[in-house]
Amino acid sequence: MALLLRTFARQGVCLSKPQYSFLYRHAAPMGTTAKDEMNKFWAKNARLNRPMSPHITIYQWSVPMMMSITHRGTGVGLSGAISAFAVAALVLPGNYPYYLDLIHSLSIGPVLIGLAKFGIAFPVSYHTLNGIRHLYWDIGKGFKIPEVYRTGYTVIGLSIITSIMAIAMI
Amino acid sequence: MAAIIRLSSVCRRGVKPLFYQSTLLARPLVVPNKYQEQPHLLTARIHSSQALYAGSDSKAASLHWTAERVLSILLLAMGPVAYFSPGPAIDYSLAAALTLHGHWGLGQVLTDYVHGDTKIKIANASLFVLSTVTFAGLCYFNYNDVGICKAIALLWSK
Repeated sequence: MALLLRTFARQGVCLSKPQYSFLYRHAAPMGTTAKDEMNKFWAKNARLNRPMSPHITIYQWSVPMMMSITHRGTGVGLSGAISAFAVAALVLPGNYPYYLDLIHSLSIGPVLIGLAKFGIAFPVSYHTLNGIRHLYWDIGKGFKIPEVYRTGYTVIGLSIITSIMAIAMI
Repeated sequence: MAAIIRLSSVCRRGVKPLFYQSTLLARPLVVPNKYQEQPHLLTARIHSSQALYAGSDSKAASLHWTAERVLSILLLAMGPVAYFSPGPAIDYSLAAALTLHGHWGLGQVLTDYVHGDTKIKIANASLFVLSTVTFAGLCYFNYNDVGICKAIALLWSK
């Protein structure tokens, strides 16, 4: 029985078609939710004082890994910046043009201004473009490893180009 | 017949000939090639059968997932609108969409890294407060100050 199931799995047969229900008609449903299972996992391992597996310290970093954590990093960073801006709007006296003039009066050189603009434009651009890549995955496409790398490099390249364009124009 | 030939090509460990005469193989097998044409149907739906599932069958999680993607697409569409026709309508829409997208995104980050019932509760409560304050601040800025679109335009004209 198990061999038959494994053979089916190797051929990529979809178990959800009605004629395959005979394969799991004796399977028992799980009584716990995914959240419960997750909590139990963490509680047990914390109680046994087990160390975390050295995943990011010994596993070789790859471009998809770095792009993924950068997507998360830019997301958290941008969210933080927006929240900081919102809190500042509520707390600080005066209005926006006042603070803009304040920055103008500091007479920062064009290079630093360009750098600062890049520092704002690049996270927005990268997170947006990689977000589109995520949506592409969400419709089920582009999972083959060469495609992952191709779309990845495209996102990185376009992010840099659009950020520079945003600084050069406007 | 074709199914048995395919089985033999997969079972390279030399399955006994007796296996092929098993009555289990008498059931009709769908040719696997069909599935390469419709890969999007290959999502395993084992838990969708009501007869099998005695536990909670809440669709909350999957609805949340879909809502996250819909919001992302909406936010993408707001970009060009904000650029080509700025104004209070897009300002407030942007405030709402950005705050909610950030709230849900940070929520996923917390789910990934925060463990333990009390810690999860505290983290989510703090996030809720942060998102509420963020939305309030952005709306205040839209109402009492130049507004999001104008603010970005002014910042970039430096």
